[in-house]
Amino acid sequence: MIARLAGLAFLASTTALAAQDAGTLALYNWGDYINPEVLQRFTEETGIEVTLDTYSSNEEMLAKIQAGATGYDIVFPSVHMQDIMLQLGLLERTGINESPSFANIDPAFLRSSQDPNGEYCLPYAWGTVGIYYNEDVTGPIAGWEDFFAIPERTGGKISLLDDMREVMAIGLIMTGASVNSADPAEIQAATDYILSHKEDVTAFTYESMALMSSGDLAAAHFFVGGNVFFTETPNIKYVIPAEGGTMYQENICVLASAPNKEAAMRFLEFYLQPEIAALNVAQQFNGTPNVPANELTPEFIQGNPNINVPPETMERLQIFEDLGAALRAYDRAWNTIRTVQ
Amino acid sequence: MAAPRERIVLAVLLAPATLILGVFFLLPLLIVALFSVLMPGLYGGVEWAFYHWNYGRIFGWADGLMEIFEPIYLQILLRSLGFATLTVLLCLILCYPVAFWMSRLPERWRLLFLFLVTLPFFSSLIVRLYAWLLILRPSGLLNQGLLALGVVDAPLDILYTPAAVVLGMVYIMVPFMFLPLFAAVDNLDRSLVEASFDLGATRAQTFRKVILPQTLPGIVAGSVIVFIPSVGNFIVPDILGGAKGLMMGNLIEQQFLSARNWPFGSALAMVVMSVVLMVLLTMVARSRRVRG
Repeated sequence: MIARLAGLAFLASTTALAAQDAGTLALYNWGDYINPEVLQRFTEETGIEVTLDTYSSNEEMLAKIQAGATGYDIVFPSVHMQDIMLQLGLLERTGINESPSFANIDPAFLRSSQDPNGEYCLPYAWGTVGIYYNEDVTGPIAGWEDFFAIPERTGGKISLLDDMREVMAIGLIMTGASVNSADPAEIQAATDYILSHKEDVTAFTYESMALMSSGDLAAAHFFVGGNVFFTETPNIKYVIPAEGGTMYQENICVLASAPNKEAAMRFLEFYLQPEIAALNVAQQFNGTPNVPANELTPEFIQGNPNINVPPETMERLQIFEDLGAALRAYDRAWNTIRTVQ
Repeated sequence: MAAPRERIVLAVLLAPATLILGVFFLLPLLIVALFSVLMPGLYGGVEWAFYHWNYGRIFGWADGLMEIFEPIYLQILLRSLGFATLTVLLCLILCYPVAFWMSRLPERWRLLFLFLVTLPFFSSLIVRLYAWLLILRPSGLLNQGLLALGVVDAPLDILYTPAAVVLGMVYIMVPFMFLPLFAAVDNLDRSLVEASFDLGATRAQTFRKVILPQTLPGIVAGSVIVFIPSVGNFIVPDILGGAKGLMMGNLIEQQFLSARNWPFGSALAMVVMSVVLMVLLTMVARSRRVRG
């Protein structure tokens, strides 16, 4: 998460057409989760200056908005966080689904239970979380079982994400439970699974991609977007675990407190264009709900079944839902995982 | 009793400081204290109901259903205090001799070295910690150097260990220890040291009876300034420790930014503050006794 802090308050505005003074737009997004060129194009086309602040978790964003952070127009919550924000009345109805270009969006990505028709938010992007491995060191890796065996088998080091839900998801998947389980026994079994492998895990970190490049890690648990670093290194591969993995989806939402609602609306319309969604994918290496955009992405992405995921792989992916009160049990498990030696 | 006029002047002069302390320190502290006995809201925030389980979870009374007592919180607190103490001791050992050495340098050299001590503040803490990550990793600068010199046969595993956390904390905190310590050492009355020797005291006696009491205020100030932020530090354990050994700072941050449990985070913060306050009061009381 710390890397994200470094990008905080990164100003993505350009000088082109600044003279028009068509207004401003303040985005609040995950770190490294939008291609700066997309924002540049938006400013060039509309004259609207864009600022970008970043956060590193849904909860961080929610906590700041709840604590009264104002001045932001657009946020990019995950689907389950969009549901929470809608219930809390934090989002603005945009009617983006009435836009003619909304036909570009695959209806399968209208996942929000509170917003089933897309009246509020625009499905933005989605991706998978899987395993990166250095094949020279580890040989072929199919899933979690192979992954956790790497340290003992090869002496190579492995890392997991420093993320409660993602780490617990591995334990839940490997013990045959849903990644959204609220059953205390299932949560305990998942915790025990992770604890039984804690010794093999070098670190819980988001910084694994640099350490993969330098050869200090043999394998790492990370988002599909990490592929951007390994287009020229055929020995470093990404795989969606055979036993199952997680997927994420974020949507573009306008805040009820947004000072620039009109500019925000123009951004949603702008992002519906297939070439813009494709431009984002080209740098982000994740999936887009924009169907025509999928035809416009670079070959490295289109031809890789671990990035451009076929339907049969989709079946072993699970998406996080809000845990409600069960979050408490996960938090306790996560504290235990990182305290017990 | 001061004249009314003087009292008005005094009040006017003290008003800005009082206001700033009240608004930016006391008020937030009261909010934290209040939140620590309220019920957590399901999606963050608080419910306005008295709820003592936040403390029960830490100290051993809990309903066992929604709130479960786990000794790990006290364990984490002890570990954080231990790391902070170790950081203070290492900083002191590093800085004390250097302060004496520097106080003997000619004026312009002293200024140069003082500038060098503050140099790290010119760049972001996070950037500097990333530099340590690059230095400490198995393929990093340190291991390459050790391998080239033939000191080790295989790269040392330092990154993502408690040793790396201590190293990072000491690295960050050294300037905070050094500056008050140097001020105290620099003001040391050397004629007293000479007098002590003239009167037949041994080196050890001179150190214990003359030098130590005179530099003690600097030692206490430096230790306090290093100890407090060390207890709450969460960036170093994250970046250099691989988030494997949870610290109090991480735990509190997590309650606000991912567990959506503001009251429990507030309760933990109150516990840390109380413990730190007790440690400080003990230290100050003790240093009084030594000097007295």
